[in-house]
Amino acid sequence: MSSLGTAGTKRSARHLLKANAWFVFAFLYVPIVVLVVFSFNGSERVNVWQGLSARWYGEALGNTQVISALRVSLIVAVSSTIVSTVLGTAVALALDRYRFKGRRALDGTVYLPIVIPDITMAVMLLVFFAEAFKLIHTFGPRLTLGVTTVALSHIAFNISFVAVVVRARLDQFDRTLEEAARDLYATPWRTFRRVTLPLIAPGIAAGALLALTLSLDDVVISAFTAGPGATTLPVYVFSTIRQGVTPELNAISTLMLAASITLVVASLALQRPRSTTP
Amino acid sequence: MSSAPPPDAGSSVPAVEMHGISKRFSDVVAVDGVDLQIGDGEFFALLGPSGCGKTTTLRMIAGLDIPSEGRLAIFGEEVASWPPDRRPVNTVFQAYALFPHMTVAQNIAFGLQMRGIRGPDADRQVAEATALVQLEGMEHRRPSQLSGGQQQRVALARALVNHPKVLLLDEPLGALDLKLRQEMQVELKALQREVGITFVFVTHDQEEALAMSDRVGVMSEGRLLQVGTPAEVYEHPASRFVADFIGRTNLLEGTTESPSAVRLDVGAVVTAANELDAGSPAALSVRPEQVRLHRRGEAPEGDPCLDGVITDATYLGHAFVYTVAVGRTVGAGGTSSGDRAATITARSETGSAALAAGEPVSVSWSPAATTVVAD
Repeated sequence: MSSLGTAGTKRSARHLLKANAWFVFAFLYVPIVVLVVFSFNGSERVNVWQGLSARWYGEALGNTQVISALRVSLIVAVSSTIVSTVLGTAVALALDRYRFKGRRALDGTVYLPIVIPDITMAVMLLVFFAEAFKLIHTFGPRLTLGVTTVALSHIAFNISFVAVVVRARLDQFDRTLEEAARDLYATPWRTFRRVTLPLIAPGIAAGALLALTLSLDDVVISAFTAGPGATTLPVYVFSTIRQGVTPELNAISTLMLAASITLVVASLALQRPRSTTP
Repeated sequence: MSSAPPPDAGSSVPAVEMHGISKRFSDVVAVDGVDLQIGDGEFFALLGPSGCGKTTTLRMIAGLDIPSEGRLAIFGEEVASWPPDRRPVNTVFQAYALFPHMTVAQNIAFGLQMRGIRGPDADRQVAEATALVQLEGMEHRRPSQLSGGQQQRVALARALVNHPKVLLLDEPLGALDLKLRQEMQVELKALQREVGITFVFVTHDQEEALAMSDRVGVMSEGRLLQVGTPAEVYEHPASRFVADFIGRTNLLEGTTESPSAVRLDVGAVVTAANELDAGSPAALSVRPEQVRLHRRGEAPEGDPCLDGVITDATYLGHAFVYTVAVGRTVGAGGTSSGDRAATITARSETGSAALAAGEPVSVSWSPAATTVVAD
């Protein structure tokens, strides 16, 4: 009897877990499906279905405000990605290789921007820029918030993400390979160029793609540190939505979703350990 | 180049010369005052258990570690503070350290490229090195597509293509299975004769060291304990550690009575081939294959002899290995009167009559075949 009971419990547990899995799956993806489907809605009104149409994609891409916001987003994303990739990789290398004063402190704090809430980071940066501008103003130049401050803010959080990803790659890196290169007459610099860099390149690329994605997606920090005229695409969407959801926003959001997914998948693919066959 | 050059062949300047070389890592002494000369064209093995400092010694020759103190010269040139890329030596690393993002040919060409040798000249040298280690046809493979033995050959070719003055090998056969290891031992030895380059070989495998090298240096706890030909270190170990580490041996505890006589704790005073200061604790080293077994009382007169009882007999196909208890445990018929017990391992060819456990026997040996060693 007891064995029968156990089997029954097992079966119902399995069904429950299965149902739960489907529920979680639906919870995550139904809103996305709704968004994508309604972005192809021909109707003016979001909640009335009026047949399939790509009309709103056309409207979105014809909207000068959208295009200008997209331009700002791309400038910020590309510049912050380049700078944070270089700096983040340098930080990861320094933490991995050298035993210097303050290394442990840096090791502990370099990842802080990843865990600090966005809103805290945003307020922090805004206060920092305001104070810095005040100080600089006493010497003459008058600086204001703009694309540069948004880009600087994105660099500030992206360095941490790049450093984490590159560090993970460095952990798998066999230092004997560098010794072998040195033994084979390579100078330290050529060892880095010919052996270290090519082997950690996938990690650096993955970090860069992650930085690009995070920069393109950010709302809170961008909204706080952008002046007039430095509106990024997510900030534009956020400010427009206060006047109600429009099918155009659905279209923009769907495009951003597609871009993000592409970048994240590429980043994950690069972080996978090297396969043994080319 | 058809026969092995004797250790002192070629130039009279030693290939590697070390004087008082020490290496400390923070407060750990890895290598402690090593003096060593390795001749031009010699196949030299640094032998010792793991952690004895042999790899650190090799890395100091390569320039991957810088000595804390001492002088190091390669063919007369003081190199102790030179970076590895300036030294005329190359290394075959323990796990080969092949560049995974390069093909076999690119790996082999790396050292040439770094020295500015490119084009047809480099191609020809890479082809020669590839042929030397019999890897033709593998040039465009990646290291991950090769077997362990093939990777080992790539590592050898990558080093030898540069015609180093000294080739350093860090346990290069350690990652191979037994059969392949034995094949590679023969091949490496032949290769060394062919290229005529000084080889410095690090291993913890004493059989490998004895089989391959012209001379062996035995290390323990950072010190170089003994340097000599394989026969010298095997037949005349300079210390208890060397006697015990090189091959199997019976160490019979005792005290020296005169410079060449030892009073064994198991009874009997025996003489050895060498001399030590009298009155100090010492041990007599007798190799198992030097121990002769006789039925009790049939031992020939003259040679040192102990009575005992066989406690174990193991058949190995080509030989028997017997364990004989001697000393206090010997029964009433025995003549030994020592106050300690000991066991002696003896080895005899299978052609002789087999003895069984429990049989009373006498063991004897020739004094010339034994060595008395201090602690």
